[in-house]
Amino acid sequence: MTLVSDVSPDKHVVVDPVLTMRGINKGFGAVQALTDIDLDIYPGEVVALVGDNGAGKSTLVKILAGVHPPDSGTVTFNDKKVSIPSPAASRELGIATVFQDLALCDNLDVVSNLFLGREIGAFSLDEVEMESRSWELLRQLSAKIPSVRIAVASLSGGQRQTVAIARSLIGEPTVVILDEPTAALGVAQTAEVLNLIERLRERGLGVLLISHNLADVQAVADRCVVLRLGRNNGVFRVAEVSYEEIIAAITGATDNVVTRRAAATSANNEETSK
Amino acid sequence: MYLESVSITRATPGSQTSLREANRARIVDAVKRHGGLTQVELAGATGLSPATVSNIVKELTASGVLHTTPSTRSGRRAQHVTLARALGIVAGVHFSTRHMRVALADVTNTVVAEHNMPLAKDHRADNELDKATRLIADMLESVDARMDEILAVGIAVPAPVDAASGEISRSGLMRGWDGISIADLMHRRIKRPVFVDNEANLGALAEFRLGAARGTTNSIYLRVGQGIGAGLIINGSVFRGYSSSAGEFGHMTIDEGGPLCRCGNRGCLEAIAGGPAIIDSLREGNGPMKLTDVVVHAIAGDPLCIRAIADAGRHIGIAAANVCNLLAPERIVVGGELARAGELLLGPIRHSLERSVVMSTDKVADIVQGQLGERAELTGALLYAVDRTSIGADDPIA
Repeated sequence: MTLVSDVSPDKHVVVDPVLTMRGINKGFGAVQALTDIDLDIYPGEVVALVGDNGAGKSTLVKILAGVHPPDSGTVTFNDKKVSIPSPAASRELGIATVFQDLALCDNLDVVSNLFLGREIGAFSLDEVEMESRSWELLRQLSAKIPSVRIAVASLSGGQRQTVAIARSLIGEPTVVILDEPTAALGVAQTAEVLNLIERLRERGLGVLLISHNLADVQAVADRCVVLRLGRNNGVFRVAEVSYEEIIAAITGATDNVVTRRAAATSANNEETSK
Repeated sequence: MYLESVSITRATPGSQTSLREANRARIVDAVKRHGGLTQVELAGATGLSPATVSNIVKELTASGVLHTTPSTRSGRRAQHVTLARALGIVAGVHFSTRHMRVALADVTNTVVAEHNMPLAKDHRADNELDKATRLIADMLESVDARMDEILAVGIAVPAPVDAASGEISRSGLMRGWDGISIADLMHRRIKRPVFVDNEANLGALAEFRLGAARGTTNSIYLRVGQGIGAGLIINGSVFRGYSSSAGEFGHMTIDEGGPLCRCGNRGCLEAIAGGPAIIDSLREGNGPMKLTDVVVHAIAGDPLCIRAIADAGRHIGIAAANVCNLLAPERIVVGGELARAGELLLGPIRHSLERSVVMSTDKVADIVQGQLGERAELTGALLYAVDRTSIGADDPIA
């Protein structure tokens, strides 16, 4: 009855990361916010960036979004070394960032918000084209927006998040950064946003998800990058790691006097044995 | 896009009646998708004029399809449109290993609202039941209903459930859900009758009543996804066996010295052909991989993914042949995430089944893809809830 295949599959075509950060440092005066941070994002992958308050998550995102330049370190985008001096530069590269406050104009309708600053039409606005593009985009995201002609103020939290994410996709980005997309949302809206993240992943985009909610992280992320006190404190494949291990890395339970002493002793032993 | 959908759904595009019918379908679809909408929002969502929407809604309300209640939107009076529900609602919840689906339906199994969300690996009972309860409350609100209109809640879980105790029959299969009575816990939250069963049983029930196994008396539903399970329909009803743990298809021993399974045995079918095993066989620096990615890559023609699915299919076929020799079903319906690969999975199953089965080839079960897709188990949970309530609406929980 044995029929276990003994043909081991050949190596896959190795996909290169779309975005790579190496040795990123950033200080604000006396505070060293980030120290030697490394980060990779592959296409079609959801990377969760987790960490305690003040771990440096937002600073890292702001470097990618072009808000702060890093003090040192390199950012490689599509195999080219790049610098991101301004938010416009970040957007041009193909990095779209959705910040926690969404930055939507409450008094404008969904279409105007989606195309704000990127309106279609040379001398007068091509409202028809913009509206049909909006519907197309929202449908691709399976978004539950009842109308694109109502003011954003009257939408629910999840719908506003959807509009903000949809807007980030207008410029055809390759990497989407979501800063706390499910904070302050109800369950139904959280469900919508998590499904939306899966849609982005299916479209082959790299997604960087910053979240405090580990249940959400474990639900959608492929990898989980932990920051602690401005340093890398572990990269996990979500499928292979338990909730407790991630928590341990976030809180530093894996990195304490005892473990450090143990690591130091074993390193010493190796040296003496050489 | 509007004209396009008309020409797809109607044989005679352009005629007045077909246009009207298409518009009607469009409105019902929109209401279904959003749960409940005002007429103005309906106009936006369907692209129809407010006057047309108003006319059609009036017509459909009269014929008992839709239901309108007066409400307000941004301070203006509005008509809130929902699907009509005559006898009350049932709720169905499907917790799978990585996903949760929740739906509300009336007793005729018309779904009035539906939600789904991805779940964390090793999710925990209390957390997820809380989420499900809040989702149900949310959805009730969107269709203008109250909690006491719910007749029953059907829950599908990816493990066998002991009918007597309401607990998962074997600990270790769902780590966060061990040693608790799911029905009890959910009943405490929602205060309505709750019925729990194995997802494979409910998937089988749904495919038997509404899907690919209709018209058969003996059929098997194979659920191939993260885990592998089976629901057995014998003489027209779901066969549950002693302690309700029949149909543990994924834990048939295929290779006695094979890899360790999560159940503690060696060489179970699931350890060789289950989702994690398939993903592991492809894990070679290929970045992230989920089971859906494997299916998508295979359909796109990636030879390694095709091979991995075919290998899984071959093993499943051998196990299926053993079951066929034992039960001689008319039809085997394959569902679950991996079934989306279609013939890439079914072909190898059929091939190895025909090789190992004792019946002549014209008497052997035909192997088909499920018709209800990923919603089979959810539909089954709704059907099960309706079934159990019709016995006596005020029965305490089972």
